[in-house]
Amino acid sequence: MKFTQVLAESFRAMLANPMRTLLTMLGIIIGIASVVLMLAVGDGIKAFINKQLAVLGSNLVIVQADSRKAVGARLKTGSVQTLTLDDAEAINRLPSVTGAAPMLTTFSQISYGSDNSNNQVQGTTPVAFTIRNLRIAKGIALSDVDVASAARVAVLGKKVALQLFYKTDPIGQSIRIDNQSFQVIGVLDNEGQSFDVGDIGEVVMVPISTARVNLIRTPTARSVQYIVVQSKTTEGLNDMVADVTDLVRDRHRIRADDQDDFRIVNFGEFAKSGEAIATGLSIALGFVGAVSLVVGGIGIMNIMLVSVTERTREIGIRMAIGARPADVLWQFLIEAVSICLVSGIIGVALSAALAMAVTSTGKFEMAIGPKAVVIATVFSCVVGVFFGFYPARRASKLQPVECLRHE
Amino acid sequence: MTSDAPTAPLVELVDVRKSYFSNRVETPVLHGINVTMQRGDFVAIMGQSGSGKSTLMNILGCLDTPTSGHYRLAGNAVDTLSRAELARLRNRTIGFVFQSFNLLKRMTVLDNVALPLIYASVSRSAARQRAFVQLEKVGLGEYAKRQPNQLSGGQQQRVAIARALVADPPLILADEPTGNLDTRTSSDIMAVLTQLNGEQEQSIILVTHEPDIAAYAQRLVRLKDGLVLYDGPSREGLRQMQAEQLTEQQEGDV
Repeated sequence: MKFTQVLAESFRAMLANPMRTLLTMLGIIIGIASVVLMLAVGDGIKAFINKQLAVLGSNLVIVQADSRKAVGARLKTGSVQTLTLDDAEAINRLPSVTGAAPMLTTFSQISYGSDNSNNQVQGTTPVAFTIRNLRIAKGIALSDVDVASAARVAVLGKKVALQLFYKTDPIGQSIRIDNQSFQVIGVLDNEGQSFDVGDIGEVVMVPISTARVNLIRTPTARSVQYIVVQSKTTEGLNDMVADVTDLVRDRHRIRADDQDDFRIVNFGEFAKSGEAIATGLSIALGFVGAVSLVVGGIGIMNIMLVSVTERTREIGIRMAIGARPADVLWQFLIEAVSICLVSGIIGVALSAALAMAVTSTGKFEMAIGPKAVVIATVFSCVVGVFFGFYPARRASKLQPVECLRHE
Repeated sequence: MTSDAPTAPLVELVDVRKSYFSNRVETPVLHGINVTMQRGDFVAIMGQSGSGKSTLMNILGCLDTPTSGHYRLAGNAVDTLSRAELARLRNRTIGFVFQSFNLLKRMTVLDNVALPLIYASVSRSAARQRAFVQLEKVGLGEYAKRQPNQLSGGQQQRVAIARALVADPPLILADEPTGNLDTRTSSDIMAVLTQLNGEQEQSIILVTHEPDIAAYAQRLVRLKDGLVLYDGPSREGLRQMQAEQLTEQQEGDV
């Protein structure tokens, strides 16, 4: 008997009881959808992390002033600002470092005309723009001259510019930061969450010298809150962290058996923990998928057994006119696999729709790749064969005489 | 499987016995049947319920195998064949016509007729072509695309006859073919079978309990309690049977 003929007959059999078939399929549909979504979520999270890193600069670490033991009591992180501009410059000179940007940040009232908002103001140097992958949408970035002269200039985040100026060109306009006037020289193009200041679109950047003079009070004239450092290579990141640690310990004259008075936060580690979350989610969804597939498979087996009983007479007729046991086995096995395959297709379609819905919110990108489709197909077939075999074998072992007596 | 020369008997039963076992208790049904049938024969098998008629019919149809004894069908030693080989033998050698038609639902009349050819690995298009020719022969060409349940009982049985004939088997096995039909349709169906036997020398075994239907056959085999009671010309056999029944009635009256 030809395969296409058997296939056509299994579809006829499925359509004979559409409601029952659909209910039987549900388990497999949910299982396949979970498996496909698991892959999509995993890939989505990894893509999200990579995109974040690409947007905000990769291979970055932050050197933070840590609590220092003062008379035996540990103080709050950052409460003692031991890091200085000189530390930043020394780090900048390390061969494994692309650049090091010293940072001073605070929240300030930003106003233009009658509009105002409260935003994070970052005082930094031009290096920050290159290592953090910041692009200028309009105007220009901060320059070394601006830093040297403590110029009252500011580069606005995209959202800040939009909020204060809407359609007006902000370049050259004067805004007030904590009631002191600054000239807008540029607008950033970047968007998204950054590792240190929240949404990069809501940041106002000024020269670090200006920030110190006009906005932020610092313990010493050269103190900084933290330093953003970029490694030349991803592979060399850990070595660079070691270099920076040695250098800063040396500069701060910390004895070999004393603890660091600073902390290095590695964003590669964050990416790793993000991937760990992705893997955890994938495993959870994969588990749900596996359970659904097993339960769905048992459902398929059950309904196939019912089907074999219901169609006993048909089996008898087929055997009488020449169906071999193998023909009957194939017929029921292909029917089970067809049900699973159709369920798999519906499952993939369902997860694709869900992925599209999630993607359309713009918060998270999920894509159903060919890998997912192949895996779904293979899983459906395996479930069909595994759970369809027993009923099919049972059908093939029936005696024609008894089948023909069956009402 | 080998086929003997056409002169060899089509059906040869030698001391065929059949017992059923339930809980290891043996219930013998056939006690040694010896029947030989040539190509072109039209044989009616009669017997009351419990006579072993159905069991014999199942063995003749290769749907069941004898407990002991030998059965040769068209030169094949049936009792030595595997289930798959039996299926192949049924497919090539026997056309079944059942009391309840036994057409498959959810399948057109044409596909029903083509099914034996499909199981014989004939291509779908060739099978449908041959099935259509066969349907025309029984006068139902125009119903090819219908579903079986849209047809009358007589029409369904004609479809079943077309299905039985489509693979050109040497033997037609008709099990109470008129049992579900009214008198007029019954004679229609019997006319079709008689014509097949007359014009194409189609061998037919007809299982029935109605003397009127058995009268269409040339030869009658009567079974009683698992043994052959009569094997000879049907006219003679039916007359005997009538006489017996009359005697029984009279005895009952007394």
